This record gives sequence, C-alpha cells and structure tokens, in this order.
Amino acid sequence: MRVGLELLELARAAGARVIFVVGVGRDVGKTTALRAIYAAACRCEISAGLASIGRDGETLRGEARGKPRLWLEPRTSFVTARDALPRTPAVEISKLSSLRSPAGELLYARVVSSGFYELVGAPTASGVAEIVEELGTSSEMVIVDGAVDRVAALAGSDAAIVVACGAAAAPTPAEAVDEIATLVARLRVARFDPAAPALFLEGALTASDAAALIAARESRQIVVRDPTQIAVSGRAGARALSALRVRCLRPLHVIAATTAAIGPQRSFEPRTFARAVAVATALPTFDVYAATRAA
Amino acid sequence: MKAPSLLDDATARVLGFDWLTSATAPVSPYGEPLFAQLRPFAAGEETQAAARAQAIAAFAGACDADAFDTLRAALNDVPDVNAGVARAAMGDVLDDPSFLELRRFCATIERLDAVLGARGVAVPLSNRAVRTVADALTPGGRDGSGFYLAGEFDRALDAARDRLARAQAELDAARGRESERVARELGRDEIAGDEFIVMRTDLHAPLPAGVRVLREAPTYVLCALELGEASFAALARRDAAADEVGAAEARVRERLSSIVREHAAGLGAAADALGELDVLAGAAHFAKVYGCTAPAITPEPVVEFEAARFLPLEVELAAAGRSFTPLDLELRDVAVLTGPNMGGKSVSLQTCGFVALCAAFGLPAPARRARSGIFEQIAWLGMGREREADGLLSSFAREVVELKAVLTRSSRRLLVLADEFARTTTPHEGKALMIALLERLRKLRACGMLATHLAGIAAAAGVAHFAVRGLREIPPCGPAQDVDAALAALAEAMDYRIAEVGPEDQPRADAIALTALLGVDREFVDSAYRALSQ
Repeated sequence: MRVGLELLELARAAGARVIFVVGVGRDVGKTTALRAIYAAACRCEISAGLASIGRDGETLRGEARGKPRLWLEPRTSFVTARDALPRTPAVEISKLSSLRSPAGELLYARVVSSGFYELVGAPTASGVAEIVEELGTSSEMVIVDGAVDRVAALAGSDAAIVVACGAAAAPTPAEAVDEIATLVARLRVARFDPAAPALFLEGALTASDAAALIAARESRQIVVRDPTQIAVSGRAGARALSALRVRCLRPLHVIAATTAAIGPQRSFEPRTFARAVAVATALPTFDVYAATRAA
Repeated sequence: MKAPSLLDDATARVLGFDWLTSATAPVSPYGEPLFAQLRPFAAGEETQAAARAQAIAAFAGACDADAFDTLRAALNDVPDVNAGVARAAMGDVLDDPSFLELRRFCATIERLDAVLGARGVAVPLSNRAVRTVADALTPGGRDGSGFYLAGEFDRALDAARDRLARAQAELDAARGRESERVARELGRDEIAGDEFIVMRTDLHAPLPAGVRVLREAPTYVLCALELGEASFAALARRDAAADEVGAAEARVRERLSSIVREHAAGLGAAADALGELDVLAGAAHFAKVYGCTAPAITPEPVVEFEAARFLPLEVELAAAGRSFTPLDLELRDVAVLTGPNMGGKSVSLQTCGFVALCAAFGLPAPARRARSGIFEQIAWLGMGREREADGLLSSFAREVVELKAVLTRSSRRLLVLADEFARTTTPHEGKALMIALLERLRKLRACGMLATHLAGIAAAAGVAHFAVRGLREIPPCGPAQDVDAALAALAEAMDYRIAEVGPEDQPRADAIALTALLGVDREFVDSAYRALSQ
C-alpha cells in the first residue's frame, strides 16, 4: 500500500489540481500525509507546488512552534518567508509576494538542489487563494498543509480536501472519531437546491442560531456561503446538521481521511481506529504510519 | 503633501486638499517620502512654482495614456532597495531576495529610461552604478522577474554543485536500497516517512536489521529506519559536498555584495532620481487625466481663471452622470459674490480656492487658463466649517472666533473665501460686519471673495461685485415627492456662470421658485409670493 499514491490518485480522479490537507487538531499527521502525497507526486514526475498556512499553521493563535522542514526535490515550487529561506542550498526565487506572514514577506521559490526547506504561508484565506493560484501557474499539483478555517478560499473550486485525524486530537478513540465525523459532515455540506425554499445566512451559522432554528422547527434549507461558515462543532454541530437542512453556496470536496494512531501523549489501536473513522466518515481512510487503508 | 501653514483643517476639507493629495500621489516607495515632504511654495518663490507647474505640464504633454500606464505600473512594482543597499554599504552580505530586488530595481530604471527617452522626456535615471550592478547580477536570470545564484557567477560553484548532486544521488541510492530491503522483509510496498507502524499481527519474524523501535504497544510497534553503513558513508560525503556548495555560494554573495557596496552612492542617487520622477509623474498624471494647464504665477494677490473646475465635485457629478459647468473669474483684490440659492456660489469659492491651492504647490490647475498669486494662507469662513462644531459656542460666535484667528495671524499674502459669513445674525448687522471684513482685507492687501445673499455690500464697500447668473427660467414643478427630478430640472435651468455686475444690481435668490420646485404645496408658495409683493 502506497498511501501517498492512493491519495494522489483519488485527487486526480476527482479532477483536482489542488490538495488541501487539513486536520482536526495538532499532531494528527497532516504533514506526514502531505509528505506522502508529495513523495508520490515526485515519483510520478508530477511537478508539485507546496504551501502552508502561517508559519506552522497555528501562528495566528499565538502557538507558533517549529515545524519539521520538508525535504524537497528539484523542480518543486514552494512558498516560504524571506527570513525562513535557507542561505544554502540556493533556490531560484521566482517572485516576491506582497503578502506577509508573521515570519516576514512571502516569496515563491523553486528548488534547484534538493534540501530541507520550510513552508510558510499566508495568514488569510484570500492570501491562501492567491498563493494557490500563483503556484498553480508553475505546478501540475499544488499541495497545501492547511487549516480548516482557511479552506474557505478554495470553496467552489475543484480542490480536493484530505482530513487528518489522530490520537492527539482527543482523549479516547470514540471522541476522536466524533471529532472527525462532525468536521467531515460540516465540510461535506451539499450545495443548496435553488428550487426549494431557503433561508440565506449573511454570516456564520452559530450554535445559538442553530438552537433557535431547531426550536422554531425550521424546515427550509439553511444556506451559508461555504461550509467553513458553519461555526458549530462537537455534538452541537452533529445535532445541528441532523436536525436542520444546512446547505451552502460553494461546496467543498472532501476525498479522504487519514489517521495517525500515535500521538505525543497517547496512542490508539491503529486498525480499530482507522476502521472507526472510515465508518463514521464514509470516506476512503488511510493510516499514514501503518501504510494501510481501512477496509 | 502637507500644508499646515497654508490651510487649516476645515479649509483643507472644504477645498478638497485630501482629494488633491490623493490625485497627485506617487506610487513607489521612492516617491512617497519625497511627496510627504512637499510643502507649498512661499511668497517670493513664484518663479520656482511656475517652473514646476510648467515641467509637470510638459511631462503630461509628452506622455500619452499608454505611457502613463507603463510608467505607473513600473513604479508601482519597483521594490525598495534602500535598506539592502544601506546594509551592503555597512559591510553586510546580502541575501538572494535582496539581489532579486536589486535586479528588478535596475531593470525598472532601464525600462523607464527607454519609455521616457522614446517620448523625448530627458529624465536620465540610470548611471554607472546601476549599469554595473545590473551587469553583475545578470547571470541570476535573463529577465528581472527572478533570481538564482547560478553557476555562471562562479565556475567553482558549478563544480561544487555537480559534486553535491552526485553525492546526493549516492546517498539516495544507498538509502533506497536499505528502505527497499526493509519493506521487502516486512512484506510492504514501501517505507514512507521517518516513522512507521508495524502491526504485531503482520510480524512473523524479528524486525529486519536496521529498524529501530521507538515505541511498543500491545498491537503494534512504532519504528524508524536507521542509517546503514553505506548510507552513513554516503551521508558524510553528501554533507561535505553540501558544505562546499554553501561556501561557494557564500563567496558569490560576498562578491556581489561588495559590488553593491562600491556603488552604493550611485544606487542611492538613482533611487533619489526615481523618487523625483515618481512625484513628477504623479502630478503629470493628474494634469493629464483632468486636463490641467500650468497657471501663470504672479506676485500679485489675484486668482483669475477661464473654464476652471472644482475637481472633487466634477468627479462626483460625473459619477452621477452629470457635468460641471466650467467657471470664469477675475478676482483681484476683494469682491462680493451673490446669486440664487443652489446657484453654485459655494462651488465658485471652492474653485477659486482649488486653483490657488494648485498654484501654491506648483501644480497645473484644472482650467483652460489660470493666473494666481502664491498665498501664505488660504482661509475659508462661514458655511462649510460646521464639522468643527463646538458645543459651547453659537454658530455666530464660532464664526467670529475663526475670523479673529485669521485677522490675528495677519498673513502677508492672504486669500479669504467667505461663504455667507455672519448669516446667523440680523441682516443689518451681518451686512455691517461683511463691509468691515472687506475693508480690513483691503487694508491687509489681501485677496478675498465673500458670497452672500445680502444686498448692497459691494457698493457700500466699494469692491467688485460678481453674481452667479441664476435660473434661465423657472422649470415646471414635478410630482411633489420627486426631489431627484426637481434637482435635475433645476440643474438644467440654472446658469452657473459668474459675471461681474453693476453696483445697483440686486442679488437674486429665486428662493420661492425653488420652494415650489422642490414640492412645497401651491397655497404656501402663493402666500409667499403675496408677502413678497407687499
């Protein structure tokens, strides 16, 4: 089982030229999944463009933490910050961006000599969209180490989303499975039906909105701009999605889930966990460490 | 542009100073600091102000819209190299993004010289330093858009990279063989990633050699692939080769940085010239877009123009599909301006101030012809300053305080534009105050125009009297609630032009006609007409 290749093929089969890897939390194997997809792209001689959000994905919440740099092969395009660019080996700098991250001005680079490089990305959804578009001009496949709240930039496009879940996300396997099941249900909210009655929300669907709509026995479609506008998570989110007909204007395409049964604090039984995630999400589910696909 | 001594905040707002600043602003990081330092010319600097306005107008005349687009896009895109050049000048070794910025800077200068040279605008930006640095950085890429520390910079760098590539390939091969062996022994397709899980149920023999256990769990073991002897040796050779590449790259960067250091002064001069060009181009673009002409600038306290426009309003009207009626005026000394309600008295004053403002900064003015003095102070009194409301003062008291401030400053070159000054006191006393103001302005040898509805002021003060021509006819009333239609009909019927009138002419207001036009009921309007006739 080559997990990276399987994920890459799923994305290509869906017609995607962008793969966004998002996670239900930290240390859930996002970067490992991204590495696997990237390695598969390199083996298939597909030119790849890599980007991240923020310096390590969570800088906006003030939790910046060094992330392992990635070993990148020649011809790979990537986005990094000026201050994060290694002095050696030299890269081809194709463009300086007007976008800034907490780590400095962003730039587009192309690997000439293989080496370790740090991905740094834009701190806003619009910045992510700009980066993805720019990388797409020089790469056959753009792979983004992402975050759920930046996925909005890709809503309505054909970008594929891989959701990573792991033992670090929750104290028990059941809770971790609940987390990813709710997140996937949110991200997979369907496009609204223009022929059916609908209530369009200007902003996000919050827990209090959802509670009020459920209490009012609202039967119309509740339409948000895109799935990231559903700001209800956990059990409340699951309840809202089952009790209301939540729909969106710009849907997302979730193609797979990955599991990381090992975490810094705890580990789950890998096969049972992956199987439970596959059942709960109804998605092709891969254990990126065990190199297996859940049956 | 800043004009704290020329205009107070309220006058700046009424005359559209922020609009003018924005319309003439440069677009590059080189022009912005120069633009921020621009101050109005002082009395006695009429020649310099006129020369600037003529240079801007000539630039605008030499460039067509395409040239401006090219010019502004290039200026907008040019990176700021000042910090990098300063760092190099102090002995720093620059990084590759800095070299890219310098390449783009040099390429932009060469492109701008070509664009301007083709149009006969002699603004030489390039110099020996720019050409030398551009030549030195040329191996970094064929165009100005990217940069790579290429082997063409140094043959030793090329050779070191070849060795690194070979060493990396050896390491990859050794590592690949070890990984494939472990995968084969574990019955897997591949070992992907630094860490991997082996399920105990899949483990029918001891873990293969070269696999390190990181964590054991009841159902699986978390492992990592160790480096074998062959990989270790290859890794050592690869690291040594990488160090060589690093050293060779550092040498190239040091050499390029030293070239920048040697030419720092010349690059600084080019950056300054680029800044001046940007400021000039910003003003010329304004002149081109709005059809401005260089005003004649005179030591006399006058504001004269033909077909002048108050641009902030013209732009607003154009957005609403309407047009501005250009105005003619010859204001020498002081004068009174009268005219009907909604006839454009305030706009006439604003146009007057806007032309004087352009002259003060040596800018072409939005007029077919203009002539203006350089004023030390332009003061707006009366209506229009309301945003400065002070709750403790009545409207009249506030006007008096503002008047006192102007008179106390006693500027040598003063332009006063007063819109219905003293309108909130009795007409009798208001008229007296305006006559006194006109006399004082004359005594100060100031220039000024006072707009009012009160009659007889110009004659009493012995000053020129201008009037907006007013309604050509009374337009028919529309539906009572259709204010927009009424305003459109009014605009159509109004002759906004200004003409000098005789001392006996009474100011027109057309106020009752306007009341009817704006939809007040017929009985009310008839009653007003009866009262007027009595």
